[in-house]
Amino acid sequence: MILSSGFKMIGVDTNSKMKAIFILNFTKLIEWPEKYREGNFVVGVVGESPLYNELVKMSSTKKVANQSLMVKQFNSPDDITKCHILYLSKDESDALNAVITKVKSNSTLIITEKQGLVDKGAGINFIVKDNRQKFELNKGNVEKYKLKVSSNLEALAETVK
Amino acid sequence: MTKRLYILLFVSFLTSAVFGQFVGRDHLSVSLFYMQKEELDSAQKYIDLAANEEEFKGSAKMWYYRGFIYKDIYKVKEKDDKQSPARLEAIEAFRIMLPLDAEKSEFTESAGKILKYLASTMYNDAVRSLNPEHYKLAISNFDQYKSTMLMVEPGMDVKTQDVKFKLALASMLNRPAETEAGMDSAQTYQVKKLYLEILELDPDNPGANYNLATLYYNEAADIINHMDYDMDIQKLNEVQDYCIEIFLKGLPYMKKAYELNYKRKETLIGLSNIYYGLNDIEKSEQYKKELEELEKE
Repeated sequence: MILSSGFKMIGVDTNSKMKAIFILNFTKLIEWPEKYREGNFVVGVVGESPLYNELVKMSSTKKVANQSLMVKQFNSPDDITKCHILYLSKDESDALNAVITKVKSNSTLIITEKQGLVDKGAGINFIVKDNRQKFELNKGNVEKYKLKVSSNLEALAETVK
Repeated sequence: MTKRLYILLFVSFLTSAVFGQFVGRDHLSVSLFYMQKEELDSAQKYIDLAANEEEFKGSAKMWYYRGFIYKDIYKVKEKDDKQSPARLEAIEAFRIMLPLDAEKSEFTESAGKILKYLASTMYNDAVRSLNPEHYKLAISNFDQYKSTMLMVEPGMDVKTQDVKFKLALASMLNRPAETEAGMDSAQTYQVKKLYLEILELDPDNPGANYNLATLYYNEAADIINHMDYDMDIQKLNEVQDYCIEIFLKGLPYMKKAYELNYKRKETLIGLSNIYYGLNDIEKSEQYKKELEELEKE
């Protein structure tokens, strides 16, 4: 009789897929200034992160309103160019201050994923609560870059500051 | 004229010689006569008649020979039929016979041997039917095998074979998952159910623990993989809740497989993946490191 062999696991980056969906939602629930609503919608990723590949995958099928989605990877804050959204992975959290300095004159939503960074300049910080991917929102940190936060986003955030 | 009379007398003699031997003989005896002559059709005809007669309904002898004749019919005519009606008829006859023979024990030993033989053919047919087209037949033959064996040896432990059979069945049913077509939810449910049954019989079965955990993981991972990027956050939260529940269901089985030292590398990948799905990156990394260490060895 054939004995059972070990089954193969599906290869999928579950965590990055969730984050990518959140990010596409943020583009719909936050309003960028007029001059940011033309050309490509750029999402930058600082440092190495599995999210980069997922965002690239998403960009091949999705748009932000009528803007094409473009994903860029920056090795360091010095390399950062104009972005609508900038994501700092947990490993790059120490670079937050340098990132803020770099984007201060732009309308950039800064997204991080380390506890406490929402109090240190990030607009949105990914957190994990009860094994679920959630996010914290610092409305002030978002709006100081001339971005408008919809009330829906506030309602969906785990905490709003 | 005289010649014709002789012929008539001769034919009449022959007829009475053939049929005369049955005069006053019951259907059981007639059936046994044909059975000895290996004329199975006639033996079957008369044993069927006997089985419907009041005088034989409580006769262990009649039921024994009915089982015997139907066993021969199976062997001669239906050996290749995995659903052989004669085999079932034989088993049923012995089932009725056994309690009737309990006191005298005249036929029990012989019936037991025949039943074991019939059970073994059921088992072989079950194994041969383990394919996507005939697996339901495999299940029914295997169930019949078990009940037949338990008829002969009521205290027999069929657990080991039960586990082996279910493992092979689950493995076969999971084959579509290894292809591009994948499995639909009904198929996944069926395979999961089988593993749960196996683990009820044998909670420490390493392969079943690992495969069940993998099924749970794959179910949740597949849902996440197919989520539309446009999904709104409210819906996303609902899907997350559902998937977390599934990852959590799989976790204890993967932990158990790990404890049982089953396919060390695969279980480490499994644990790392499940914790990653649970967004417990620290634990996921911990198992990933253990895997890296193992690979260095």
